[in-house]
Amino acid sequence: MKMVKTDIGVVAVFYAICAFFYVQTQKLSAESQTYPTFIIAILFGLTTLYLLQMVFRAKKYGTVNSNGEFKDFQPLQFFGCLALTILYLLGVHFIGFYVSSAVFMVATLLFLKVKPIPVAISTVAVLLLVYVAFTRFLQVRLPAGLLF
Amino acid sequence: MLETLSVMGQGFISALSPINLLMMIGGTALGIMIGCLPGLSAAMGVALMLPLTFTMSADTGLIVLGAIYCGAIFGGSISAILIHTPGTPASAATAIEGYQMTLNGQAGKALFTACYSSFWGGLLSCISLYFFAPLLAQLTLKFQSAEYFWLSIFGLTIIAGVSSKSIVKGLMSGALGLLLSTIGLDPVSGTKRFMLSSYFAEGINTTCALIGLFSMSQVFILAEAKIKERAKAAKVTDKMSLTREERRLIRPTILRSWIIGNLIGILPGAGASIACFLGYNTSRQFSKHKEQYGHGSIEGVAGSEAANNAVTGGSLIPTLTLGIPGESVTAVLMGGLIIQGLSPGPQLFNAQNAPMTYTFFAGFVLVQFFMLGIGLLGCRGFAQISRLSDAILIPVVTVLCFVGSYAIHKNIMDIIVMLSFGIIGYLMRRFDLNTAAVVLALILGPIGEKGLRNALRISQGDPRILFSSAVSWVLIVLCILGILSPILMNRLEKKAEKDAKENVPADSEIE
Repeated sequence: MKMVKTDIGVVAVFYAICAFFYVQTQKLSAESQTYPTFIIAILFGLTTLYLLQMVFRAKKYGTVNSNGEFKDFQPLQFFGCLALTILYLLGVHFIGFYVSSAVFMVATLLFLKVKPIPVAISTVAVLLLVYVAFTRFLQVRLPAGLLF
Repeated sequence: MLETLSVMGQGFISALSPINLLMMIGGTALGIMIGCLPGLSAAMGVALMLPLTFTMSADTGLIVLGAIYCGAIFGGSISAILIHTPGTPASAATAIEGYQMTLNGQAGKALFTACYSSFWGGLLSCISLYFFAPLLAQLTLKFQSAEYFWLSIFGLTIIAGVSSKSIVKGLMSGALGLLLSTIGLDPVSGTKRFMLSSYFAEGINTTCALIGLFSMSQVFILAEAKIKERAKAAKVTDKMSLTREERRLIRPTILRSWIIGNLIGILPGAGASIACFLGYNTSRQFSKHKEQYGHGSIEGVAGSEAANNAVTGGSLIPTLTLGIPGESVTAVLMGGLIIQGLSPGPQLFNAQNAPMTYTFFAGFVLVQFFMLGIGLLGCRGFAQISRLSDAILIPVVTVLCFVGSYAIHKNIMDIIVMLSFGIIGYLMRRFDLNTAAVVLALILGPIGEKGLRNALRISQGDPRILFSSAVSWVLIVLCILGILSPILMNRLEKKAEKDAKENVPADSEIE
């Protein structure tokens, strides 16, 4: 089993998390430090163990660039959906839940090349479902937005 | 004894209330729908529906989640049989024989077998739930603070190792979850720990984390891959029934698969995906018609489906009694239990909570009947739903994640937390880290911390208290076994999968 190079990033992120939490732990009182320090030590130990495994694999079997994690990755589609999701979050805050949901549904479905009739049906069905389940049944007041 | 029987009876009466019956029907139908959609999983469905149960009474809420769980495990078989794509990993073995039956023009028979076997598998698993759960819960009465600490560690070692390819990465995920669980006010001194804002005073909202890690991350997984048209579901041309001889033929298979599925379910760390292959292989070993395997065997479908549904009742036993969910779905279910203000263990069976617990158990029994009815009547309709494109699922699930996380505290910060955990979950899944371990650590972390700190306070800081009782040592041994068990489970799953595939004709590989 070869060492996967992308795991170097995983290990680096875990060490960074340990370092961040360790620095933050120093700001706590002595009593409050014990448990988080114990957990940080465990996480640090496990990350180091994984690093050692990686070194062992690299020496014995060689390395490979990736495990094929992003083999079929469609960057435009993925980042487009992510951007629309973030805009949707802002929309919920500023223009309210129902308006932004309708815009988000239509925009995402058209972006993903769904035909107009399924776009209309899906949007109406989801909004109706949310209205019945959350607004009517659970009586949740969904965000009305800051602008209206 | 009589008192327990009376509470059990009352449980059935409560479960038969109109609202509970309505929720069972809705939950089961929703579960089947989620299960037959190849892009969605049972854990994701339960996580997504968790916020809907907040305003319900504890028993009704749990019944809904249990119904979704059972429905989803069965629902996976519909797409496995009709479009050769298992809706959930639990139906992977069903696709082998089920699709062959469809090709032979026996789709109706395959669907009936799947439904009938799932019903019996699920129903029989309820027997062990009724019998073992109260007994095991009594055991935890012996637990003190140190034992609770070891129990939480045991739960983590079990789940951390199972779903990951690397045991160390699974454990790293669990430790990361434990670290995240320390965010918020110190439970003993009240000191602010790692809080970026006062929003985190009560720690990370577990439900938002659940929705993000299981549901939102799935949206990103769907969004990154090329959107493909799903195969058209095969038409059901034959009658959906089995002859008396065929029913007699699959009866022993169902019984064997019930035992297999139940044991796998009770065993923390093993899940329905392992059970279906074991059930399938065992049915073949005992079959008098081995030549039919790989060409559409009803025994094969029955073996796989009875086993995966028998897991459901079994897996609730360690979840409800010890607080150790064996897999992702039960981890989410336990989250639902805790959100309702209940803790797993003997308190679920005390005078105050026993009526609720037994109402849930009775609901779980009744759900199996609804699964049979809805499954048989709605198979054709659900088969059409299974073709729903990922392009539609992406925005629909996103909207439900947003509204679900907002509904908890009506705070926009909850959506931000959910979305952040969605991105974290996506990256974790892509790099073989374990999202279920993070969720479980978020749930078990505070229990473990409380246990550890209380134990150390009692012993005035002497750590020997953690090793002072026999129960602690049993749990320590179980922790070690928990770390080692994934090696055994991986071998078991690979062997079962290999054995199953050896019998499949070359042109019927699972898509």
